[in-house]
Amino acid sequence: MAKRKSKPSPQPKSKTSPPAQKDKSFVFRNIVNIIKSTGEKASTLKELREGIFKASENCVFHHTYQYFLRGHITEHTNDFAQWAGESLEESALAERLSNIDPYSFGSTKLLKDELLKVVDSYIDATPEIRPTLQGDEFYFCESVSFVFPAGLRASNLAEMLMAIKYLDSSSLYYHFFEARTRHRKKHDDFSKWITEVIKAPEVASSLSNIDPFMSTLEGIRDQIIGVLDESIRKEMEVTL
Amino acid sequence: MISDYTNIAPDRDLQLLKTLGKRLKGKSFLHVNSTREGGGVAEILQRMIPMLEELGIEARWEAITGDAAFYNTTKKIHNALQGNHEIITDRAWEHYYEINKKNAKKLNLNADAVLIHDPQPAALIDFKKQGRWFWRCHIDVSHPNEEVFSRLLPFCRKYEATVFSVSKFARSISSNEFIIPPSIDPLADKNREMEPEEIAEVAERLGIPRDRPILLQVSRFDRFKDPIGVINAYKMVKKYNDCILVLAGSPATDDPEGEEVLAEVKNYASDDPDIHILMLPPFSDLDINALQRMSTIVMQKSLKEGFGLTVAEAMWKGRPIIGGAVGGIPLQIVHGVTGFLVHSPDGAAFRIRQYLNNPGMAERMGISGREYVREHFLLTRQTRDYMSLWYSMQSRKKGNLFELW
Repeated sequence: MAKRKSKPSPQPKSKTSPPAQKDKSFVFRNIVNIIKSTGEKASTLKELREGIFKASENCVFHHTYQYFLRGHITEHTNDFAQWAGESLEESALAERLSNIDPYSFGSTKLLKDELLKVVDSYIDATPEIRPTLQGDEFYFCESVSFVFPAGLRASNLAEMLMAIKYLDSSSLYYHFFEARTRHRKKHDDFSKWITEVIKAPEVASSLSNIDPFMSTLEGIRDQIIGVLDESIRKEMEVTL
Repeated sequence: MISDYTNIAPDRDLQLLKTLGKRLKGKSFLHVNSTREGGGVAEILQRMIPMLEELGIEARWEAITGDAAFYNTTKKIHNALQGNHEIITDRAWEHYYEINKKNAKKLNLNADAVLIHDPQPAALIDFKKQGRWFWRCHIDVSHPNEEVFSRLLPFCRKYEATVFSVSKFARSISSNEFIIPPSIDPLADKNREMEPEEIAEVAERLGIPRDRPILLQVSRFDRFKDPIGVINAYKMVKKYNDCILVLAGSPATDDPEGEEVLAEVKNYASDDPDIHILMLPPFSDLDINALQRMSTIVMQKSLKEGFGLTVAEAMWKGRPIIGGAVGGIPLQIVHGVTGFLVHSPDGAAFRIRQYLNNPGMAERMGISGREYVREHFLLTRQTRDYMSLWYSMQSRKKGNLFELW
C-alpha cells in the first residue's frame, strides 16, 4: 500500500472557524451530506478507472471516506469495492479495494493514486472482465456537507460519556472519522480534546488505538463508551 | 409539528431543519406541481408545507391546471420519459406551452426559491421573474424516448439545479444535479402506529384470516408489478408452508390496462381460497397500513419500478421485505441486511421460505429495515435536503462545505 505523507485535507478547508469559546468544553457537531451527481458513470472496469482518474477529490472522498457515514452495512468498505464485487462480480478486486483503509492516507490524492494502482494491476493481470448489466453502472457523485452544532457539550469525561451514549451517529462520524482528515496528526477530535483539555493522555491513547476502519459507527460508539466508562470508574474507585 | 417527529426522526435532521430555518427565515419557498390530490408528490407536499411554515419559511404550493388535451400530452411525456414510444405532435407541444403560459399568468410565481415538480409545469421557467428555480424530476429518465426528451430539455436546462430521486435516474442536464430520494411520512395515516384492535377490525372487515402467515403485495394491478410472479412464488411456498396471499391494489383511472390485468390475476388465482385479491377504494391509507402491519412478509416483486416507496412503508413497520432488484428498490433493500432482493418467482419463493422458517432472522431484518428507513427515508430528511439544496445555491460561498456555527 502506498506510503503516505502529509496533508492536504480532502474536504475543502473552511475559511471560517467555530466561534471562540470562553470555556474549553467539547462542543459536539453533526454532519449531513446532500448528494450531487457528477454526470459520469462507468459500466466497465476501464471506465471506472478513467472515472476515478478524472474524479475530483470531493468525489473520491464521497465514495471512500464518507462510506462510513452511511452505516458501513454492506460487505465492502468503499463504493468502488462494493461495485466491483456486486456488479462486476470481480471478487478478488473487491477484496483488494476493500482492504484500502482511507484513513491511513494523508490526502485524498494519495488515496486516489492507490485506488488507481490497484485497479491498473488488476486490469493488467485479468484478460477478460465483463461489463456490468444495464442499470448496474457505477454513478460518480460528490457531496455537499453541512456541519452544525448538535446542541450538546461536555466539560469532563463523565459528561462526554453521557453525550456519546446518545449522540446522533453523524456526530460520531464527524468527530471520530472525519476529524482524521482535518487534523494533521490524524487525531480524532475526542482524543485531541482529552489530551489537551482533560490532560488524560492514557485515556486519549486508548481512544486513538481504536481502529476506525474495522467497525461500524455503532461498534465504535460501544468501544468509546467502554474506554470512557473504565477510565471514569477507575477515577471513582476508593481504596478501602 | 416538527416536535412531533422528536424520537422518531434522527436528531441531526431536526437540528439541521431548525438551523437552516433560522438562516432562511422570512424567505419564500414555492412548490409547483400538477395536482393537489393523489400521487406521492401531493401526499408529501401536504405535510411538507406546514413543516416549512413552522420553520418560519413562507411556503406555498400551487398546482397548475389544464384541459384534457394538455393532460393527454403530459401523460405521453411521462410515459416517453420512462422509455415508451410516444408521438407528440408539434401542435400538442404548442398547447403544452400555451397552458404553461396561462398558468404563469394566473399563478403567483414570485418566491425566493421555486421548486417545479415533474414535466407538466416544466415550461413555467420561461415566465420566471425572480428567485432561484429548481426542477425536481420524480421519474426515471435514464432511458427516455430521445425525441420527446429533446423537446423538454431546453426548459430543464434553464433551471439553476435539477433534482432526481436516484443517481441512475439522472441525466446530465445541469452542472448542479442533486440526488434526493423521496420519503414517507411516519405520522401519516398510511404509516402511523396502529392499535391491535384497529388492525383486527380491518382484517375482519376485509375478510383476511389471521390464523396463518400472511404474504402481502400492495400495488396497482399492473404487469410491471408482476402479480402473476407473486402468485407463482406463493404456490411454490405453499407446498412446504401453509400461508395465505393478499394482493391489494386500488383502481387507477389513468391505467386502461388495470381491469384487464386484474381479470388475468383473478383467473390465474382461480378458486384458491387462500389467495385474497382486494380492490381497495382510493385513499384507503389506514387499511393499507393495517394490512402491512398484520402481514408476516411484504413483497414488492416488481419487474420495473420508479422508486417503490411501498418498500419503505413496509420496512418502517418492521416487516421482513422481499423486493425485485429494479428501480429504487435496491436503494431501500440492502440485500441480506434490510431485506432480500430477488430476480425471479423462484428467488422470491426461496426467500419467503427462509423468512418463514427463520423467524428470528426475519425479525432481525425487520428491525434493521425500520432503522434504515428512519435514517434515510423519512419526510424530515427530504425536507432537510430541499432546504440544504436551496441554502447551498443561494449562498455566496462557493465549495462543498457549509459550516453553520
